[in-house]
Amino acid sequence: MDFVAPLAQGFAVAVQPHNLGLAFVGCFLGMIIGALPGLGPVNGVAILIPLAFTLGLDPTSSLILLTCVYYGTMYGGSISSIMLNIPGEAAAMMTALDGYPMAQAGKGAQAMAISAVGSFVGAMLATVGLMLFSPLLVRVAIHFGPIEYFALYVLAFATIGGVAESNPIKTLLAAFIGLALATVGLDAVSAVPRYTFGSFYLFDGINPIVAIVGLFAISEMLAFLEQAGSGMIAPVIKITRAYASPRELLFAFGAMLRGSVVGFIAGVMPGSGATLGSLLSYTLEKRVSNRDDTFGKGDPRGVAAPEAGNNAAAGGALVPMLALGIPGSGTTAVMLALLISLNIQPGPLLFEKQPDLVWGLIAALFIANIILLIMNMPMVGLFTWMMSMPMWALMPFVVLMSFVGVYSINQSAFDLYAMVAFGVFGFVLRKLDISLIPIVLGLLLGTEMENNFRRALSISGGDYAILFSSPMGNAIYTLTAVMLAIAFYLAWKRSSRAV
Amino acid sequence: VSRRGLSDRLAGAAAVAVALWYGWTAQSFVQGFGDPAGPAVFPTVVAVPMGVLGLVLVLRPDPDPSWGRGPVLLRQGLSLATLLAYPALLQLTGFPIATALAGAAVARVLNAHWPAALTTGAVLGVGLYLLFVYGLGLVLPLGPRLG
Repeated sequence: MDFVAPLAQGFAVAVQPHNLGLAFVGCFLGMIIGALPGLGPVNGVAILIPLAFTLGLDPTSSLILLTCVYYGTMYGGSISSIMLNIPGEAAAMMTALDGYPMAQAGKGAQAMAISAVGSFVGAMLATVGLMLFSPLLVRVAIHFGPIEYFALYVLAFATIGGVAESNPIKTLLAAFIGLALATVGLDAVSAVPRYTFGSFYLFDGINPIVAIVGLFAISEMLAFLEQAGSGMIAPVIKITRAYASPRELLFAFGAMLRGSVVGFIAGVMPGSGATLGSLLSYTLEKRVSNRDDTFGKGDPRGVAAPEAGNNAAAGGALVPMLALGIPGSGTTAVMLALLISLNIQPGPLLFEKQPDLVWGLIAALFIANIILLIMNMPMVGLFTWMMSMPMWALMPFVVLMSFVGVYSINQSAFDLYAMVAFGVFGFVLRKLDISLIPIVLGLLLGTEMENNFRRALSISGGDYAILFSSPMGNAIYTLTAVMLAIAFYLAWKRSSRAV
Repeated sequence: VSRRGLSDRLAGAAAVAVALWYGWTAQSFVQGFGDPAGPAVFPTVVAVPMGVLGLVLVLRPDPDPSWGRGPVLLRQGLSLATLLAYPALLQLTGFPIATALAGAAVARVLNAHWPAALTTGAVLGVGLYLLFVYGLGLVLPLGPRLG
């Protein structure tokens, strides 16, 4: 039991008043952002990153704030699924299938409570999993050299779209665009300026925070403007409380446990994240429990499983992010941006060098879950009110918050223009159904990927065969090939079915 | 060539063009001493598959998305113009006024009536200023920057 002492140390960090306060604020903001249709965890974390900068937080506190936002959005995302039949984020899609019918049948309070408890169970178990599995992964990863790391990066890029993505060609293209963006700036080894157009602003490279806020927040506004004209507003089913009897909760408990396990595994897998977690949990639960054909018509287990699943996946996605420095989902990719900006390189050494950060975070997650569960109940009324708030009041707030946040990093107008440019770019890519996550990931990991590539080649004196000389590295390449083959096969099957 | 999938074809062609330029530019980077790979190899490794994937997109495009027309395009243009004017406005009028104007403009573009849009702007201008300056201790220009 070598995690008891560090965990106790972690709790000592997490219960410091300012960290506890940040956890509380993060949970609150996260739930609100998650509940708003259209603003998911990636946007939520992206918008609040500048806040972490303006507050001048140390890395541990920043990470606590953002992971609490992350967990909060996962809780909140289900609320609009249940009330509006519009998922607040992609991972809450499956919750709408049974959550909305439950609300229609007047069982909204039960749906809300089961979703909250399901989220709690999923997130708690995933945090335990994070605590147990990350150190194991670290023990393996500590022996990784540049060859293995380069292979891992290849794996991360090849699989970031996951198997659910529509067109793998576009996802891969996005990854290469991201990698290309990462090479902008002065080359760290040779001091050669690359793709800077002689501009002084680009010598330091593209600031990932500026790019992320532009790609997500600004493009969100542009995308929203397209729907604004249609004036389509779904009827809100007003729910004033969240309550379920112990019997009802017990009925769904098995679904929560199954959903948690499936979700956690899906979250740890590279490039899948919470959306796949909830999808798989729901599918499995339907296969196990749908004896009387109640799924899709308001079965509480159809709410419990995907909610436990997507929250467990959110926790699972933190495992590769912390232990390897390679995010398993879009949101963790954005969080990685913050850590890199604070000069923290996640990876196996993080556990050794900064145990306070890792264990403080884990302890904060346990606390955040309890805060979220308690907060969920009385805040239902507030959410109902918020759902009926018009977008014209909300969008300017989101956009100007992003502006102030980005401005506060460098007080530079150039950053603001760059952000708007990324916003337009992100909007076009979204329209073309090209995922933005691989771009962010490429921009973030590109430099480290190139460093490992060059380190490996300088060991071998320029012989490329060294890249395939490590058994572990080759195993990772094989896994990459298999995952790619599956993604292409599924895409091919989908397109041939569509014709 | 049919017009079906034109969006993807154009995007693919753009990717091919960027990849060619990107890879070509890389060849002029000077290799340092004791760095067998040099600054050019990685961009080249990125450029080749980028170009190939762009080409695949040109040849096998997905169906076109529906692009906004007329009023939607106008609204998107107006909101972008607001965002581009904002940094300059910030220097000119200070944070509260610039933010109020930008907030009102974005709200108006989103179909708010004038009174509602102006209220949103005013609340944002004053509220965000108070929040950031007194709440978060950020330095934001209150009035026009002098000198």
